[in-house]
Amino acid sequence: MADELELLRGANPVPPDGPHFGDGPLDHGAERRLERLLRERPQGRPARRPLPVPGRPRLVWGLAATAVVAALALTLVLSGPNTTPAVAAPRPLVVQTGTTAVPLGRLAARAVQAAADGSPRLRKGTHVRSWSMGVSDREPPVTLPEERIVRWRADGSRTELVVATDPGHPGRPVLSDEQGEPRLVGDAHVISDRTYPPSWSDAPPQSRPPNDPARLRAYLTEAQYTRTALTTPQLLDAVQVLLDHWTLGARETATLARLLAGTEGLRPVGQVTDRLGRRGQAYVCDGPGARRMLIMDPATGAVLGLETTFTTAEPEYGVKKGDVMSYSAWLR
Amino acid sequence: MSNDEIFAAAYREHYWAVSRYVARRLDGRADEVEEVVAEVFTVAWRRRNDLPSSPLPWLYGVARNCLANAVRGHGRRRRLVDRLGNDDTAHGRHITAGPEADTPGAWVHEALARLSAADQEVLRLTVWEGLAVDEVAVALGCGRRAAAMRLHRARRRLRTEIDRVRPVAAADTHRVKGVGHG
Repeated sequence: MADELELLRGANPVPPDGPHFGDGPLDHGAERRLERLLRERPQGRPARRPLPVPGRPRLVWGLAATAVVAALALTLVLSGPNTTPAVAAPRPLVVQTGTTAVPLGRLAARAVQAAADGSPRLRKGTHVRSWSMGVSDREPPVTLPEERIVRWRADGSRTELVVATDPGHPGRPVLSDEQGEPRLVGDAHVISDRTYPPSWSDAPPQSRPPNDPARLRAYLTEAQYTRTALTTPQLLDAVQVLLDHWTLGARETATLARLLAGTEGLRPVGQVTDRLGRRGQAYVCDGPGARRMLIMDPATGAVLGLETTFTTAEPEYGVKKGDVMSYSAWLR
Repeated sequence: MSNDEIFAAAYREHYWAVSRYVARRLDGRADEVEEVVAEVFTVAWRRRNDLPSSPLPWLYGVARNCLANAVRGHGRRRRLVDRLGNDDTAHGRHITAGPEADTPGAWVHEALARLSAADQEVLRLTVWEGLAVDEVAVALGCGRRAAAMRLHRARRRLRTEIDRVRPVAAADTHRVKGVGHG
């Protein structure tokens, strides 16, 4: 009987010498996409920024944008100012003057203390409200507010509910791009409500986060799919990935706080009130093209939110310095 | 060469290999392959400073991530991820016993589909992508020893599943052949 690997080799659905995807010169589409990448700004493009979809017809996008403006205008005319759609890009959080900036080391110590009784416990899944900017090289940027709740069941299956909503403007229409183009939808419009079949993975971020700062750093490095040491901006992006998959317990929160306290380049800047009205301590990290602000609970050290703002204007995308690129606020 | 030139060279050299990698995991849905590959190279472009001297295993790692869950987001990409999460074909359950089950490819696929996703991936990387253990480690983002161990265990489990699946298919095949030649 043939070796199992030989059998598997014979079952290769797309062999290199098959009729499709064989080696050779690039086709027209692949060449065009390569040129498009090489034309991009070589430095400073933040990693999480949604890019324009290649090949999207200009006319379609233009019509969609026109429709948004028309719908917005109609709503204003018919409904008055109290039902103004929540389409405006949110302003960046402001650090309150005269407040004390708590060093991360002290906050980590509080987190360790708060974790003494082990509660709350780690839970797989997330509850996050996010605002993310979508850009196009042909139209002004738009901000898409969403709320996402992921819950895992004992059998390894999970549910994911995503709704379009902006808690800063309850009841007002919001922008959504669920059809690939931005359009106004009602507040709490369900973008997707799905149940996923059981799945298991032993790799971060699906695997359980460790309770040791060094191992957590390795975990986050793997979650970002790199083998090189994470820079501080990359580490914060990895924290976002982690919190988009897990609701940390007190112990994991303390581990994360200790990890952050041992990370260079995070400056305490004082107190802020986040978009959900929660008081937090802000820690800022300046990276290429973007500033990240981590907001942490002053008592427990839990990460409440992460805001990323542009530090340079990108006029070809209609982006001004200081604009909010993305914002995530995590809840239990 | 600058990083941009190195990236462009890697793109040209490995575009079709990455396309095959993606196509093998999307069950030949060619219209989606191109979209995912574009995403892979967009991510690779952003991380081009990390591009190793032998970039293909690293690109497979990026592709794996793109296919798995990294592209939660906007428009067409979101719909693709939704399909990956729900579509039976993404989990290999589209292969059902039928007349085509007599062909060796079908029952080997069936045996493969009975393994965990992690086992499947280490086997596919080794056999279909033809990676050495060191390269599998790069693609999976783990150490060489861990990759070797995963491959060893996955081979054993594949062997078990082949033994479970093969007798029925083989017996059927023999019977059909016997009738045909009889």
